[in-house]
Amino acid sequence: MEMDEIFQTLIRSIREVLPELREHQFQEEDQLKELGANSIDRVEILALTVEVLSLDIPLTALQGAHNIGELAALIKEQQQLITGKQNQL
Amino acid sequence: MTTAGIQAMYIYGGAAYLDVTELARHRQLDNARFENLLIKQKTVALPWEDPVTFAVNAAKPIVDMLSDAEKNRIELLITCTESGIDFGKSLSTYVHHYLGLSRNCRLFEIKQACYSGTAGFQMALNFILSGVSPGARALVVTTDISRFTVAGRNEAPAEDWSFAEPSSGAGGVAMLVSGEPTVFRADVGANGYYGHEVMDACRPLPDSEAGNVDLSLMTYMECSQQAYLEYRKRVTEADYRSSFQYLAFHTPFGGMVKGAHRTIMRKIVKASPDEIELDFMQRVAPGLNYCQRVGNIMGGTVFMSLASIIDNGNFDAPRRIGCFSYGSGCCSEFYSGMVTGEGQKQQQRLRIREQLDRRYRMSVADYERIVVNNTNLRFGMRDVTPDFHLIPEAWDKMNNTPQLYLKEIRDFHRKYEWR
Repeated sequence: MEMDEIFQTLIRSIREVLPELREHQFQEEDQLKELGANSIDRVEILALTVEVLSLDIPLTALQGAHNIGELAALIKEQQQLITGKQNQL
Repeated sequence: MTTAGIQAMYIYGGAAYLDVTELARHRQLDNARFENLLIKQKTVALPWEDPVTFAVNAAKPIVDMLSDAEKNRIELLITCTESGIDFGKSLSTYVHHYLGLSRNCRLFEIKQACYSGTAGFQMALNFILSGVSPGARALVVTTDISRFTVAGRNEAPAEDWSFAEPSSGAGGVAMLVSGEPTVFRADVGANGYYGHEVMDACRPLPDSEAGNVDLSLMTYMECSQQAYLEYRKRVTEADYRSSFQYLAFHTPFGGMVKGAHRTIMRKIVKASPDEIELDFMQRVAPGLNYCQRVGNIMGGTVFMSLASIIDNGNFDAPRRIGCFSYGSGCCSEFYSGMVTGEGQKQQQRLRIREQLDRRYRMSVADYERIVVNNTNLRFGMRDVTPDFHLIPEAWDKMNNTPQLYLKEIRDFHRKYEWR
């Protein structure tokens, strides 16, 4: 899956959890906290994204991103790890 | 022995509480966001209350229900806490003394953050089920308090730890575990446990907490799913939606439970948002009632939710309750048991709700006096005489029912008296 597709999925999850951001023009530098997401919102956004992408990874693997661009990159990295493991089997 | 569970349980929610919306306003927390947390009140530990008084005051009404012969068959007393007062001597020794239990009894304490109560309960169940001492009973008592101090706040904790202060309460839960489980008959062997090392929330210092809120929420959500999936492996006919008429969650604050429930219902049950909301109101909300009034009492919170369901739910027919326990660090477990109308009647006679109603409602000014005074009650104090005049209204409130209070600490030894 391409980065942009992951990024767009992430944005759809953010909008589902925070409907007030429907009109917001998302940038990679945007930070969830700055967008008004509290800790529960942030975890729900991650849970939703991982679910939509059918990724079987612990949410804790997505710790440490500073903005939503980095978060999308982390998700891609995890996805590649899983694909790599599947190829080995 | 094939049957075991809770014969009686009681929640002690302290002598005074604070309306947390007032605290949120005082601390200038974002009000709209704050409402989503689903917190209303929290019990605040007074200077003459400590983990021992909470434990004894929780267990006293249950022990008083027993005949001397029955009382003397309590052969196991486990205290479950992350608010210990000594690295060696366990709280259970004080609790044992002030309850006047038999000396032929095992006394010890269990720690695993908010999972401690479930750890204690499961060990007690297994003691009964093993049948090694037929007719014996076990008393499991969870007790936790949080004393916020002025120094702690000056260290400027991370922004989201601002949730910790309004949600952290104080309280004790006592459960008599036996082969006559009138209140909650455990489904034997129906346990899904799930744990791993993670640094999400902890108490690395005697009087303060540390951790990472996002990590803690993620771990809680992940465990709530994984523990249930393990349960389903062992109980293959289990269905998250139809097997449990109520769900008792460990409830740090209601908003967290709502998030976890929503995720499981979406992911495992494939329910729509409307169905999820309805299901939350039907199966989860009855358990939030007491939790919203006392706050997070850590080791005992999942049982406070269970007690709230038993008092407030509909038990015209026997119902199965699914329980999810989580303790940071972390260990978690999903388990279940049956509750009947008879059990509900017995619990309602203990009038837990009325006891919560009797608490003194403190002002933010009262609360600030407590916070300043908490410095005198730090871990490891050798000699202390509590300030009984700090909140006179709360002290007077304790006249109604016999309650244990901390009279003094002399040379580390704690002395208590009934009032």
